[in-house]
Amino acid sequence: MISVRTNFVRTALAGALFLFAVAAQAQCRSFAKNKCVPELAPYKFNESFNAAQLAPGEEAEVNLTFFSGQEYRVMVCTHPILGEVNWKLMDASNKILFESMADAPKRFFDLRMANTQQLKVHVWVPSKPKTDMVHVGCVAIMVGFKE
Amino acid sequence: MVSNRSSWPLLAGLVLLSACGGGEPTGQDTLNVPSTEDSTAQAERMRKTRNIFYNIPSPMETAALLKKAGAEYDKDILNDVQNVDKYTAASKQALNLGIYGADLSYASVNNQTQESMFFTSCAKKLADRLGVSNAFDDATLERMEKNMNNRDSLLSIISETYWTVDAYLKENERDNISALMIAGGWVEGLYIATQVSRVKATPELKQRIAEQKLSLHDLLGLMETYEGTDEALASVKADLTAIAALFEGVAEPAASAEVTQENGVALIGAASANTTLSDDQLRAITEKASTVRNAYIN
Repeated sequence: MISVRTNFVRTALAGALFLFAVAAQAQCRSFAKNKCVPELAPYKFNESFNAAQLAPGEEAEVNLTFFSGQEYRVMVCTHPILGEVNWKLMDASNKILFESMADAPKRFFDLRMANTQQLKVHVWVPSKPKTDMVHVGCVAIMVGFKE
Repeated sequence: MVSNRSSWPLLAGLVLLSACGGGEPTGQDTLNVPSTEDSTAQAERMRKTRNIFYNIPSPMETAALLKKAGAEYDKDILNDVQNVDKYTAASKQALNLGIYGADLSYASVNNQTQESMFFTSCAKKLADRLGVSNAFDDATLERMEKNMNNRDSLLSIISETYWTVDAYLKENERDNISALMIAGGWVEGLYIATQVSRVKATPELKQRIAEQKLSLHDLLGLMETYEGTDEALASVKADLTAIAALFEGVAEPAASAEVTQENGVALIGAASANTTLSDDQLRAITEKASTVRNAYIN
């Protein structure tokens, strides 16, 4: 009897966690759409959904192809619950082209490419002193381009 | 009573839907959901999916680049809207959602409003069949109808819709369908570029085709996160690998981290480092892109 109840509780918890994860992702999309995309203006959003729910100490990375002659805006947009994050734009050899640190954040980086290259954006959420509450928030890596 | 004003967009939507193919296809198979993959592979995929993103240039970005490079509009090379009802397998629906999405972007960027609406209705049909109707609803069609003559608004709605469909698929753990849609869109972009280059191969257009080597590398990276999980994905990955082999000899643009300032904007790299294709390489890529793309639409 106990095992049946335990299984039920586990299944219910697993179901709740799944629903929470889906809801959190949907919130992330909604947050990116409503709060981040408008900030890309006058650049046109490149339509790529690079967003994840991250917690302090976690990292995310995205490889991007930037085409010659094009102008871009690169922006890392973070839900306020998470606070500011660190992010940097690097070339293929990991040389830093731009960096924004949590204690002196910069909203975005505008660039124009002389030649086509793959660059990568690396984001990491600063670790915080251990508390009972772990804040998980949406981090979206956004790119806009000029047509 | 529904007012005439509010019923117009719906009526127009119905006309558009009927313009894009006939009725419902008979029978439909489904795309394998990777429920049987072993837990290690799934955990690895989840880890990669969560923290490493593969950003493939969107159909709209590619279409805008092609237009800037001098690519002219040719409606005859695009997927026939009547084909939409042939796609009964979920994998074909996903691939052709990407293909019609790319055709839609190409038509819209080139101000082909009427054709944009036809491709929109095809994309909507496929999205509905894939169960993504929440992300691509009647309200979207209505907004497009209302903004038919406002190119910027139309492009913005199309971009938003593509993004919403992709995000919706990913949120609902249907990343494999999203990956097929992205692959279909990329293949169609390469197909359009190479077909246009047969008529007028400007140096800029050849350069943009050569640069697809970088996007293809990322697309294969995305596909590799699904290794061994799905037959359709494995087949598409094999096609992309075959195309990648033809790009092998194309010199990659040199990475240059030189940063200078130009009118308040950071200028990255050196203009001398751009790449291009030989005529033989272009011919081989054109043929392969055509074979692969035609297999997807038929």
